[in-house]
Parts: sequence; structure tokens; C-alpha cells
Amino acid sequence: MSPQAAHPVTERSKHFFLTPTAVLILVLSIFPLLFSLVLSFVSWDLSRLEGGIRFYGLNNFITLAKDTRFWHTARVTLTFVIGAVALQYCIGLGIAMLLNQEIRLRRFFRVVFLIPMMLTPAAVGYVGRMLFNESMGPINDIIKHLGLPAVRWVSSIPMALPSLILVDTWEWTPFMMIVLLAGLQSLPPEVFESARVDGASSLQIFRHITFPMLLPVSLTVVLIRGLEAFKLFDIVVVMTGGGPGTATETVTMYAYLVAMKNGNLGYASAIAYALLIMVTIITLFFLNSLRRRAAAAE
Amino acid sequence: MQLSMTLSRRLRMTLTYTLLIVWTVICLFPIYWLVITSIKQPIAVFQGPKYFPWVDFKPTLDAWKFLLTGPTSRQVIRSWTNSAILAIGSAALAVALGALAGYGLTRFRYRVPGLGWRNDNIAFWIISQRMLPPVVVILPFMIMYRFLGLIDTRHGMILAYTVFNLPFAVWILRDFFAGLPIDLEESALIDGASRLQAFRKIVLPLSTPGLVATFLFCMMFSWNDYLFALMLTFSRSSTLPMFIAGEGTQSYGPQWWYLSALSLLAVAPMVIVALLVERYITRGLVVGAIK
Repeated sequence: MSPQAAHPVTERSKHFFLTPTAVLILVLSIFPLLFSLVLSFVSWDLSRLEGGIRFYGLNNFITLAKDTRFWHTARVTLTFVIGAVALQYCIGLGIAMLLNQEIRLRRFFRVVFLIPMMLTPAAVGYVGRMLFNESMGPINDIIKHLGLPAVRWVSSIPMALPSLILVDTWEWTPFMMIVLLAGLQSLPPEVFESARVDGASSLQIFRHITFPMLLPVSLTVVLIRGLEAFKLFDIVVVMTGGGPGTATETVTMYAYLVAMKNGNLGYASAIAYALLIMVTIITLFFLNSLRRRAAAAE
Repeated sequence: MQLSMTLSRRLRMTLTYTLLIVWTVICLFPIYWLVITSIKQPIAVFQGPKYFPWVDFKPTLDAWKFLLTGPTSRQVIRSWTNSAILAIGSAALAVALGALAGYGLTRFRYRVPGLGWRNDNIAFWIISQRMLPPVVVILPFMIMYRFLGLIDTRHGMILAYTVFNLPFAVWILRDFFAGLPIDLEESALIDGASRLQAFRKIVLPLSTPGLVATFLFCMMFSWNDYLFALMLTFSRSSTLPMFIAGEGTQSYGPQWWYLSALSLLAVAPMVIVALLVERYITRGLVVGAIK
């Protein structure tokens, strides 16, 4: 997992290389992290930047535990992460397997399939809003031509979150596809040949060889995409604005609203920290299972 | 037997190409929709979906003219310029610092006194910063920036994006440098070159693909960011995603044709970059994710 130098030597100039980065991360990443932790224990009204600050103990976290709106946003975020990542993984793996064959125009397909993930999420959210629009958008129009009833997408509570998941899937499936394709290409071809000689069907090969061998790469991409999905903010702001009501409000968006609209920096920091704890627990769980798999493989 | 084999192979290939073409259409349709909406007149938008210019509706360049010469054109151009300056500036800084750190981590042995950390721990500590939800650090950033007078400044934003991109740059470049043959550098060092000379004259030129990939990624992250810009800028240094989000949430309802042209202006540079250097991007993604 980690590259080791062939001849790591000790030299005086070595500090010149690492120090700038280390200092910058300490000052502008670790310090804000601690600052934010401190903030979560104070009450700070933004409208009075000076003097509006006082120690508040665990009150922010007590409020948080009872805040139904927070738990609602946590559930929305988690549903989004699970739905979006699962969908992206399935489609991404499917396309990677299609591309992992002897086909013409492979490079063309790969370039085209890459495009969505390059696009500015704010613009993507806006495109989503346009496509899912019930009267002017093409998606409902196509559904109607197929003889199916029109769907109220972003304007109805049950369909707003699925609409967001679909838009996010459109944008981020390329990432899954590319990494999984590289993973598939790195598998030894002999295994597949001998399985085929032994008369295994395609489905058996997938279930007993491809999928297990690809599992470490799979877990990694799922983790990376999951971490990114937890940060969901820009697409929601543009596409639904958290609505209808608060049906698609994410934790990040709630923290933003509490900080900027209510001017309550302490409580907003507590919300942000709750998200951080959630993400950390899930990450550790994943890294653990990755490590166990790696150990089992050896 | 032979016949059924070719038949099933043919069937499989037909299915493969069908699915690939379907996904191609799904990937490209939203972009096509942006393009045609940007050349529609308001009436062609409100009458329900129209798919083909000249067939369904009469195309017009009104939205584009308004975007580039209308009353908001100065703001549009300023946001676009800001986005470009911030993306290029922060990507250049992140690559420069990331290259130094990545090189250091693969060629020297470090120990953090007190913690007992070695190179691998340091590298993991650096990349773990990228996993943080940015909302956790954004409030302190805003407060710090207010006190330091960095709020709504370009250099402040370049600094913020550099810190945001640095972990990723270190991660990719560290892997890249670890894969380079070390003999060339060593013979240069034996010939009396300094470490820095060896780095500049030998390692960097050999690493062009890695540097380019990293630069593009950092540029893309900064160009596409919305949260940092939203919290740390309000007028002079605000970026294109800010402008789009602001226009899309107007109370009088979005001007679809205008917003489509605006979105195209935002996505075009990155799509062009993707088409030109797809190879580098793929490589950077794979290295960043798997290693």
C-alpha cells in the first residue's frame, strides 16, 4: 500500500522538502479542526463578533441530541450516501466489465464516459433541475411517450431525494467505472482461462473469481465515493434547495444554515463535528475490513 | 457447437454495444440539453420540451448575447476570471509543495519526535485531511479570514484551495516518485550535484505525466468548488459556481436559457481539458484510489 524508497538516506536538506507542507497543513487544517472543536463548546452569536462569545459546556451537544431536524438531516445524508454509492458501484462495475472486453472504439467510450465527473456540480444540479422539471423537462415527456404516468420529481417529498441520487449517479459513476476497470485489467488472465477450460459459466466466474478478486479495489472506491458523498451540498442547494420543506436537507446544509442564517457558530460547529464523528466511524470500519481482507489474502 | 458459440458471441457483442451506446446517450444528453436550451427563446422553453433546433424550435443567440454583453456581463466575466485565477494559482502551488513533500517522503527517513511517527504515518496523516467533511473546517476558516483580512481576497482563496488540494497532491506525487528509478539521481549526487539540483534537473523532468495529472486534478477541484467560495467570498473574488447558484435560486424563477449558457461557460474548460488529456486523468484517478 505504501511505496518504500530503495535507499532512504538521512540528510540535512530533508526538512526543506517536507516542512512547508507540514506547516501549512498544521496551521490551516489541524488548527481549524481544533478551533471548530472549541467552538462546539461555546455559544457564539455571529451578529456580535466581538463579545458575543461565552462558554456553553455540553449544551450544544445536548441540544443536538434532541434536535429532530438534525436527526432528519443525518438520515437524509445517510440514505443519500447508501443509495448513491450502491447505484454508482453497480452501474460502474457493469460498464467496467463491458469495457473490459475486446471491443472497438474503447478509447472513445472511455473518454465520453469520463465527461460527467468533470462538470461543475453547481451546473450539474441546475441541469438536473431542468431535466426533472415536470412540465418543461424532457424526462417526464419521455415517460409520457412510453405511456407511463408522469412523475413529480423534485417537487414531491418521496421523489426529491431519489432525483438527487440519480443526478449524483450521473456525475460520479465515471469515477467508479475507471478505477474498477483498472482493477479488472490488473487481474491475472490465467485464472479466467483455466476456469473457462473447466467449464465454468460466466455467472460462476463472476461470482467465484472476478468479484472476490476485485473486492479490495471495490471497498476502496466505495470508501472514497462514500466519503465524498457525505459532503453533499452544492447539487442540493441548486437542485432542490433542501426542499420540498426539508426533505432533501443534508447535514452540511443544515450546519451552513445554522451558521449563516441563524448566526449560531457554536451550534453549527457541533453539527459539523457530529458529521465528522459519523464519517470517522464509518471510515475506521471500512479500513478495518480492508486490512482484515489484506491479512487474509496473505 | 461451433455455430452456437459464434451465435452466442455475436449476441453478447450486440448486447455490449447496445448498452454502451445507451450509456453514451445518457452521458451526453444533459450536455446536449444545455446546448439547445441556451439557443432557445423563452417561449420555446415554456411550451414544453423541444428537442431539435430548426425542427422543433427556431434557434437564437439571444441568451449568449445577453450573457456576454448584457448588464450582468461584467459580473460573469469577473467570476470566470476569478475562477480561472484561483484554479490555476492554487493548483500550481499545491503541485509545487506536493512535489517537494512527495519527494521527501520517498527519499528520506522522517521521524516525528514524541509521536514516533514514520514516513507512512505522516503520509496517512496528510491524506486523512482530504477525507474530512469540509464543513468542519470552514467556519474557523471564515473567522480566521475575517480577522486576518483575507476574506473575499484572491490570495486568501488561493491559499484555502491550496490547503484543500495539498493532501491529494502529496498522495499522488509520492506514489509517482516511488516508482521512478533511483539510479539516475544517485549518480548525479555522486557527481557532486546537490539534492535540490538532482530533484530539479532529473526527478521533475521525468515526472511530467504525474505533475500534469496532479495539476489538472487540483485545478478541477478548485474550479468546481462551491462551499469554500460561498463561505469565504461575497463579491470581488466570488467564482462562477457562486454566480450560477445565485442565478438559479432567484425568486422570480430561473431564466433557463440564460442559465444554460452560463453553465456551459462553467463546464466547457474542464470538458476540453478532459478530452485533451484523458490518459493523464485516468492514470491519476487510478493511482489516487488504488495505491
